[in-house]
Parts: sequence; structure tokens; C-alpha cells
Amino acid sequence: MNISYNWLKDLINVELSPIEVGEQLTRVGLAVEGIHEFGNDFVLDIDLTSNRPDCLSHLGVARELGVITETPLNERAAKYREVPLPAVLAGEVVTIEAPELCNRFTARIIRNVKIGPSPQWLVDRLEAIGERSINNVADITNYVMHELGQPMHAFDLDKLAGGRIIVRRAKDGETITTLDEVERTLSESMLAICDAEKPAAVAGIMGGLGSSISDDTVNVLLEVAYFDRENIRATSRKLNLATEASYRFERGVDVENLINASNRATQLICDLADGSAGDLIDIYPVKKSAIPVISNDISGTVRRLTGLAVAAKDCIRILSALGIRSSESETDPEDQLREFLSPTWRHDIAIEEDLVEEIARHAGYENIGTELPPAYGAGEYQANEQRLKRLRQTLTDTGFDEAISYSFIDTKYDGKFKTVPGISQTDLVTLNDSVIEGAVRMRPTLIPGLLAAVRHNFNQQRRNLKLYEIGKAFSAGDGYDELPNEKELLAMVLTGSETYEDRAMTGRELDFFDAKGSVEAALSAAGIENVKCSADMIDHLRPGQSADIKVGGETVGYLGRLSDEISATNKFRQPVFVAEVNLDLILDADVKTVVYKPLPKFPGISRDVSFIVKRNDVYSDLVAELETLKGGHFRDVKFVDIYEGAGIAEDERSLTVRLEYRSDDRTLTEAEVEALHDQIVKTIGEKLGIHPRI
Amino acid sequence: MSDERDKVEAVRTAFTEEFAPYADLRLDGMSLSDVESLLRGLGELKIKHSGKKSAIAATMKLIGGVAPEERGAFGQLVQSVEKEIANSIEAAEAGLNAFILNAKLERERIDVTLPGRRPRAGHLHLITILRQQIEDIFVSMGYAIENDREIETDYYNFDALNIPEGHPARESQDTFYTTNGFALRSQTSTVQIRAMERRGVPIRIIAPGKVFRRDTPDMTHVPMFHQIEGLCVDKGITMAHLKGTVTEWLQRLFGDDTITRFRPSYFPFTEPSAEFDFSCFKCHGTGRSDNDRCRPCKGSGWIELGGSGMVHPNVLRAVGVDPTEYSGFAFGFGLERMCAMMYALDDIRLMFDNDVRFLEQFR
Repeated sequence: MNISYNWLKDLINVELSPIEVGEQLTRVGLAVEGIHEFGNDFVLDIDLTSNRPDCLSHLGVARELGVITETPLNERAAKYREVPLPAVLAGEVVTIEAPELCNRFTARIIRNVKIGPSPQWLVDRLEAIGERSINNVADITNYVMHELGQPMHAFDLDKLAGGRIIVRRAKDGETITTLDEVERTLSESMLAICDAEKPAAVAGIMGGLGSSISDDTVNVLLEVAYFDRENIRATSRKLNLATEASYRFERGVDVENLINASNRATQLICDLADGSAGDLIDIYPVKKSAIPVISNDISGTVRRLTGLAVAAKDCIRILSALGIRSSESETDPEDQLREFLSPTWRHDIAIEEDLVEEIARHAGYENIGTELPPAYGAGEYQANEQRLKRLRQTLTDTGFDEAISYSFIDTKYDGKFKTVPGISQTDLVTLNDSVIEGAVRMRPTLIPGLLAAVRHNFNQQRRNLKLYEIGKAFSAGDGYDELPNEKELLAMVLTGSETYEDRAMTGRELDFFDAKGSVEAALSAAGIENVKCSADMIDHLRPGQSADIKVGGETVGYLGRLSDEISATNKFRQPVFVAEVNLDLILDADVKTVVYKPLPKFPGISRDVSFIVKRNDVYSDLVAELETLKGGHFRDVKFVDIYEGAGIAEDERSLTVRLEYRSDDRTLTEAEVEALHDQIVKTIGEKLGIHPRI
Repeated sequence: MSDERDKVEAVRTAFTEEFAPYADLRLDGMSLSDVESLLRGLGELKIKHSGKKSAIAATMKLIGGVAPEERGAFGQLVQSVEKEIANSIEAAEAGLNAFILNAKLERERIDVTLPGRRPRAGHLHLITILRQQIEDIFVSMGYAIENDREIETDYYNFDALNIPEGHPARESQDTFYTTNGFALRSQTSTVQIRAMERRGVPIRIIAPGKVFRRDTPDMTHVPMFHQIEGLCVDKGITMAHLKGTVTEWLQRLFGDDTITRFRPSYFPFTEPSAEFDFSCFKCHGTGRSDNDRCRPCKGSGWIELGGSGMVHPNVLRAVGVDPTEYSGFAFGFGLERMCAMMYALDDIRLMFDNDVRFLEQFR
């Protein structure tokens, strides 16, 4: 909001420079974001918090400045008192049919005005704060709003049917063309300022075009009123129409400032547009009294919450300067119990803590001490944070960059990706709307986000990528009213070749086993060792290169090469490998404690054996069978190589493993090992129906 | 004995003649293979002129014809010639071998300034780096890290935080809603409630996490970002403790000379409320760096970081804590905003593009 320095000086005598004013206001919570020169004036740009509508005017800002500088406001701000018209006569001009939405309504008829341009000083004032001059009467209502904070509206009296005002709820479907030349349809929830026949203004928001001031206007009806805040807010939302007036009404104006504002505007209209004013009409059906705030010991509460030592008399001085009156016990100054009544312009003082803030901000936050709370206890990370940290570190060390993608994704991904166990693939969480076209689905998988990252980087000519993301995925809760299901997932994507720092030439091309190895490494870093994969058909993965990831026999995610279909949709022309794991399913598992195994005293002897296997035979079956033969001198089995091609039948592969033999009490002889190895190879061959390659 | 002497001298002369090509070797500019063939030639020379079957060895047999009194001198002569031959050959051999060794080393010389074969390392996301730094600081100050739901009920996102229905903050168009009426949390303050329900008081926690606001992405706005919320509730907690705590962690992050500034503000869930700024880490509050207006603080010397205040009594009551017995402070700030200032990022959307060229700038 813009505040003119010269205008402020009309309202209060301050010796401070514009910059000093800015510093002082900022210090008490009226954040001055900038000061700029305008002609012979300075304009302060104040960023007000939503609880301080009372400062949406020069009067409000002057009031704060008055408390800071302990200077009273100039009398001018509170002049123009008049005796109102008796209620009986007033009722002939103004009727309030909806007092629950209109607490107070004042009107004054000003006759024989001459509509014309405003004098230069008025134009300057308005332009200084960024407002445009229209005509003298319109400018005056605008001017008084910015001066005293009270929005008001001037009607062309002769265009009001019956020459009178009825404040009532609009009828459903009733229409009005507002000043912005838009026809608006009203409903019964909205308050309208009507003439004898039809709405002439949307109460508190915008006047109607039909009854507005024009160059031909002679007689003016000046409305200065107070409306229900909630109702103005609701109507403004429904009509999608926010104005300077509605902004103030919905935050709250000063109901006791109406007459003052009306008088000020009247005086200016009479002075600048030659009008002659009639009596004030003031309909005030329900007078609300402020609810007192009770404090047992305001000084003590200030100290308890802020650490500031402010004597009770200083607390009361600050509060009373702000217009907050206290029921001081004259007879017993020792009595700390007091009631505080906040002024009608403040809508934000309801409890003792609110008083504390008022006192603290004027006593100065800079005077509050700076100390650490007393020692308490040991800090702690999230239970799984250390494991996640190691997982992240391992991925980082092995070349993965960490991605973070939006949690909402496009609906076009629906059903295309198999979701990890724990997240439903069909019962999704949907947003009412989004700020990104189409992205209304709370992601049930992180993979679309990573694929978007791959696309983006491909477009930047980065074709060798390893990315991962750790974040939440969502699916619907058990029932409609249940909170959605949130699970923390790890997703990875790999494509291209191995790369080296500062080297243009890449290394080996990445394949399925790089992806698998990365999953194993990441989970191992998090303390999960028993990771197994088994072939499976997965929606988004290429048949033959897709697998379930299992931990302790339970499927926790999927791994493989992206399907040709999804690759084509993304215009990927190189293999892309993805993996996704539900971390919540595995991170709670206990980490195995390590027990030392004595080191072998005697050397082991290794023998390689290659089996001819069918293409659909799997290594894990061979290992499982070999495991059953362990014990005695046969100790271990490791994968060496798999070969297909020349010398091997079309439907077969040669699978080579290395078996290790060792004794705990002596060095085995070649002959012993030979015999045992032959025996094992034979047994396995018979059991699985496979033959060693000769 | 002059005959015998002459014969010895003849052997010497014969050797000297044959050895001439090796006598004063100039190897500069010769190729390795030339030098290797020289060495082979020298090898043949060595076999011929040294050892038991050589001409000089044969002259020793002449000693019988030498007068006994001259035999000593003759023997010395033979030995000296023998030695001379051996030394000459050895010296030449050494020279050739040294050349060959050098040439071979030279041939295998590598350019040690070429880049090492270093597998490319990955990078943590900027947000993770900063989050971990801040978490470490707070854990060392006795805080527990909390983590919680991202989709919440209105109760946790609003009501319990003293934002009743009809409150402007609630009616603003900022909040994303699911079709069945749940809110994407618009601030991590929701964790204040969840954590106090779980842990009770006294409590000291920080809660990092994602929050969501209905802002269309542009250079300074994104619809999803990260906040860190801090909460400390105990008997006797005051705003001085808030100032002390915020100042302490900022000093640990940005250096001991960091100073903070608290300005009165308004948040529904704190009373009194304050916004906090800290002196710019780049210009140390002077507003100028590198002879120009300081970029991170835009020349103001201050960086506006977050909101804070004393926990509103209604928030304490919502979790069954008596606000006359306990008091506490809370604070919150956005990590993207902080990163944007720390690294002078001009477009906050970079945080979510996952452009590797961006990600690999931070470690």
C-alpha cells in the first residue's frame, strides 16, 4: 500500500525524515518495502500484514507513528461533527432490511453539485499513491478512503428510483451492471444496496453503472456504511470481484469512523464541487460492544512470553496510545487485574497474547534478549535417516544425481506404470485442479518424473544419465473419507554409458545388470542385504528384461528396461533402465549385526565349470541347487560368465561358475579336489538335467 | 723382451683400431635401433678382445720368453692392456645401455597432466545438501527431526493452527485440494500438531518437508517447495530463546559474524509473531560486494528468511497443552528461497527441472 509522506504530515506533526519514518514503521511491523520520490513528496510502499486493516489508510499509519513518537494526531483528523437526522425522518430515505449483513448505514444528500475536474492538489495526492483522477466527487470519495480508511460510494440521487435506498439481500437471479460495465448476476446470499426497484450497488464491493456519478449529476447521495466482513468476502469470491472497498470491508473498517468519514467527504464536496449538504442519516441497528481482554498481570505476561521487562505503567501507556483502554484500578495501584478494551478500528485484539505483541513491538523486538533455551536432551534424526543418508551417499558416489520432481503428474500416465506394493495402481489421489496443465494426479510412482528429467536432459545433449529420486507416492486411502496412503519410494533411471570426469570418451554401455547392481548397492548401503530378483512381466518394462525386486521373499519393487512402447512415446532412441522400490516396506527391517568369522588357516582351491543350459534356465536355480551341496569341503559358488553364440546351440547358453573347496585343518590335494568337484558337477547335472561343456 | 712387448703393443693397436667406432661415441640424434646394433657390435668386440681366448690373454703365454727379472714388468704391461681393453668396452657399454634405457623410458613417458580415470560422481540435490546441513546443526542443539504426512485434513492444515473456517488465510486460493476434500499441506506447521500429539511437551523438533501452494510456476514461484519448521515448547520459553536459537543456527551455517533482525509480523499460529532476517552472508550487511550492489541481498544488507513467533495459545490448547503453564516458539522458512539467495539463482524453477548441468554444480 502506498502512503504519501506529505499527507501523513497533514495528520501528525512528525520531525522524522521519510527514511526515518520508514525505519520506525518497519520496526513496529509496518514493513516499508521501498520509498520513492514523487514531485515534492515521498511515497512509502508498506507491506501490511492481513491483521492490520486499520493501517490501510493515512490515518492508521499516522496513528502508529503517533505511538512511536508519542505525538498526538492533529485535530483535523477528527472534525466535522454534526447532529444526525432523527430516525423517523431517516427511515424515509434509508431502510435496512438485512441488519445481520449491514451493521450501520449512513447517508447524506448533497444537492446542486457541479461535477468537474479535481483541483491540482487533489490530483497530485491521488497520483502520488498511484490512483487516477476521475472527477471531483469520485476523487473525493477515493481520497477520503485513503485518508481515513473508510470506503464510501456516491450515487446520482436522481437516478435512484423513488429517491431512496433499501439495503437488502439480492433476489436470486437479480442482475446489476457494475461500474466496470460487467453485468453480474446476484444471489440471495449477497447484500445489495437498492433503490425502490432494483439493485444500485453490490454492497461494499462496487457501485452500479446506472446510478453512478456522471457529468450531468446534480444531486448526490453519499453512502458511508459498515458491512459484515464474512459476507463481503464471500460475495467478492463468488463474483470474482475484488476492489479497494471490498479489500477493506472484508478485513474490517472502523464502525465508529463512519460519521467522521462522511463529514470529511461532505465538507470536501461542498468546498470543491459547490454542493450544499443535507442532514446526516445514520441507521445503526445493532451496536456491538467490544469484548474486554482480561489480564491478571500484563507486565508479567510480557516478561513470560518475550523476556522483556516492561513496567505495568509503560505497558498501559503503549496500549492506551494505541487506543486500547484499560480499566485501571485508581484506588488500588497494586491490583494487577485489568480489563482492556480495544478500539473499534482494531479487529485483531482478542486475547492477552495480542496485547503482549502490541507492547513488545512498540517496546522494540530489538530489545528482546538473545539466548539459547536451557539444555534439554540429545537430538535425534528420524529413525531411518542414517540409513537413507548412506543410501543417498552410495548412489551419489556411484554416479547418480539426485532429482526432485513435482508430486503431481499428468493423468496420461494413469495405468501405464506398475506401482510398487503398498501403492494402488488404480485407486489414485486426484486434485480438484492444478496450476500445471493436466497435472492433477498425485503421483503413484516416481518414474514419470524421472522420465521427464531424462527427456529434458536428452534435449540438452546429455545422453549418459543416472538419476534417482526419493520421495512420496500416493494412492487413495481405504475409504472415501480416509486420508490418502503415502509411501516413501526410491526410484532410479539409468541410460547411456559409464562416464568419467573431464573425459569426453565414455566407458561401457549400461545394461540391466548396472541397474540391478545399483539397486543392490543402494539397498545394501541401507542395511538391506538379501535382495533377490525374479523375472516377471511388468506393465512398463520390456518383457525378458524385467524383474520383481524381492527382499526376504517379499516383492518390494520392480526393475528393468523401459518398454518399447513407453520409450517410443518419450522418443527415447537408446535403452533406458528404471527401478522403483517401496522404502517404507524395507527400512523398518532390523539391520543384521555382524559376527566375526575366523579367517581360513589353509588355502582354498577353485575350479570353474561351464554348464550348457537352456535359455530359460536361470542362474538362481543353479545356485540354489549348489547351496544344498555346501558343507564339507565345498564352500562357495560365484558367477563367472554367461556365453551364447558360436559353438552353442541357438536355444542354449554356456553358464560358467567358480566353485571353491577348502578344508579347515589341512591343505587339500589336487586329487581330492578333483574327485569332489567331479562328484558335485555330476550330482548337479543329474538333478537339473544339464551337462558340463566339454 | 722387446719382441714380446711389441706383440702386446700390436694387440693394443689392433684393439684400438677396432674399437675406434666406439671410442668417442656421439649418440645424440641416433635412433634406438642404431644404438642397439652398436651394442650388438660392441658385444662381438668384447668377446673377441676380452676373456681367455682373446689375443691379449694369449700374450700372457709369452712370459716364458721374457727374462726372469723382467717378468714382473711384462706381467704388469699385459695386465694393464687387458684392463684398458676391459675398461674401454665397459665404458662404451655403459654409455650405450644408458642411452637405450633412457630411450625406452622416453618412449614410455606419459603426460601426467591428462585427466585421471575417475568415474563420474553424482550429486545430491541442492535441497538435500542444505536440509542435511541444517538438520545436523539442530540435532547437535538437541532437536529431533520429524517427518510427516504431505496430504492432510483441514484440521491439521488449518483448524489446529488457529486458522478457523472463514479466516482469510484459509479462504485464499493458495491451497490444493483433493477431490475428496483433503488439503496438500500448505505449510510444515502441520507437523507441530502431529508431533505434539505424538510426543507431548516439552518438545524440540524441526520438521523439513514438501509443501504445496497453488502458484503457477514462474521465475520466483513454484507450486511445490520445501520448508523447515522448528518448534520448541517448554516451561519458561520466551521470545529471547527464539531469537537466540535462530541466531545460533544461522551463525553456525553462515559464520559467527552473522546478525539477525526480528520484525513484528502476523501469522495465525503465533502470537506475538515476527519475521526474521539475517545479515547477508556475501556482503556481511554492507549491501555491496565486488564493487557493485550485492546480489544475494539486492543491496539491502539483509536477507529475509522466514516467519516465527510464540506458539499461539489456541495451538497449544488444540494439543491439550496448558498455555499458562507452557510456552514455546516456532519458526519456519523455505529452502528454495534460501538456496536461491545463497547461490544467486535467478529462476527458482531450476530446482525441479532436474537438469544435470544444474545439479552437478553443487556438492
